[in-house]
Amino acid sequence: MTNESCQRNGSPRHRVVVTGMGIASPLGVDEKTVWKNLIEGRTGIGPIRAIDTSALKVHNGAEVPEGLAEARLKSLSRRPSDRALDLAVVSAQDALLDSGLISQEQELVPQNVSVIYGTGVGSAESHYKSMQAMFEKGPQRARPTAVPRCMYNAISAGISLQFKLTGANYMIVSACTSATNAIGTAYRMVRDGYAQTVLTGGSDGFFDPFFYPVWNNIGVLSKIEDPTKACRPFAADREGTILGEGAGTLILETLESALSRGATIRGEILGYGESSDATHLTNPSSEGQAKAMRMALNEAGVSPQEIGHINAHGTATHGNDACESKSIRSVFGDAADSVPVVANKSYFGHTLGASGALECISAFLALEHGVAPPNLNIENPDPECRIHMVGSKPVSIDSRPVMKNSFGFGGGNGVFVLGPSN
Amino acid sequence: MSDTSNEEKIIGQLRGILEESSTTEPDWDNFGRNSTIESLGLDSLTILDLLYDIEEEIGVHLEAKEVLNITTLGELVDLLIKNGA
Repeated sequence: MTNESCQRNGSPRHRVVVTGMGIASPLGVDEKTVWKNLIEGRTGIGPIRAIDTSALKVHNGAEVPEGLAEARLKSLSRRPSDRALDLAVVSAQDALLDSGLISQEQELVPQNVSVIYGTGVGSAESHYKSMQAMFEKGPQRARPTAVPRCMYNAISAGISLQFKLTGANYMIVSACTSATNAIGTAYRMVRDGYAQTVLTGGSDGFFDPFFYPVWNNIGVLSKIEDPTKACRPFAADREGTILGEGAGTLILETLESALSRGATIRGEILGYGESSDATHLTNPSSEGQAKAMRMALNEAGVSPQEIGHINAHGTATHGNDACESKSIRSVFGDAADSVPVVANKSYFGHTLGASGALECISAFLALEHGVAPPNLNIENPDPECRIHMVGSKPVSIDSRPVMKNSFGFGGGNGVFVLGPSN
Repeated sequence: MSDTSNEEKIIGQLRGILEESSTTEPDWDNFGRNSTIESLGLDSLTILDLLYDIEEEIGVHLEAKEVLNITTLGELVDLLIKNGA
């Protein structure tokens, strides 16, 4: 199940372990609160505070609870700048603290850690403010720092600057697969010896007067008024997804590095697969998804029967959930009747380019605790989605590997096989 | 307006600008003429935003090269007064 003995071009591949996790999410900005909310079935979805939605069709979203991220930024002597960057910095700090690479007591020193981060939308807040200034005052009055504020790599650059991380520093942008592709790229860098330690994950924050209304109009958001019932992945009565903001950060490093510095190992990435549907800009393809799943299983050396549970992409849109369940069935065969499936978007909302990171962290927490969190709003499972959804109560799971799926507009698919810390 | 009250007014305006646009959390308790540019979280890039906001709020245009060697808020205030603030 490990890639310890694999060889490539004569160079030994490294086992890649997770030594730190940080989360800034609608369920909270610390891991314990997030896990408690997940396991107790409390959603982070509610009426949107950030903007006036009265003229829009949908009024619900999953926002980070008011003031939490701001308080954390203040402790770093930072003021809110751009939501996606702010949430990324908060989660990155927790991941670095968790890994022991930084401490509250010691001054930061430059470290050869790479930052490979994902985002779907990028610096949405900065884009909106820059555009607003341009329309109100004219193009000659655009703020001078609009350029560095709006660039997609403002997020990875901001993390690198804040924590003095001197390895590679760039972003992966692939819509809802961004974080998974970023973590996958980071995993390959560590596995193949290009980096010893990488900070990776994804962030998105886009509740602004442009981006959110645009999503209202594309027709994939749930119009169900009750926020606790609005997002229903794989349910027969699902009506669409709900957007969310957040960031999740993981520290990946070689097993040797983690052991040599006595770091606590939180989990392991056993395999990664990625593919492109090449069929349609927004409609998913079961063939493309299944291809990525098989690649991840093959790399991990794990059969579908050895997967303990699946953390699905599960957007709660009709087309996506139907396609994903078909993909799972095509890869798992009859095993799909019994392997439990978790869909976290009924909690976090769809955090787009952050979703893969938040859901990977959820999957690792499930492995650590031996419990899969309940699915919300699954009272009426869709019989056409022929998979085995975890119900409204948490279920015990063993330490067998987890499959984590992410799929995005543009046809990009990314899949992990994740293992426990041992 | 006396020199002192004009200076206090400009310092108040600068504080308002920085409260709105600064990306760091300056030491507001000791905010005044002796505050260093560095302690206000300003560097060669972010000072461009400050100049932008000064033009918007105070109506004085300063060139970036004019403020490159400034080290304290007091020097910036003096420069603004010299340019008609």
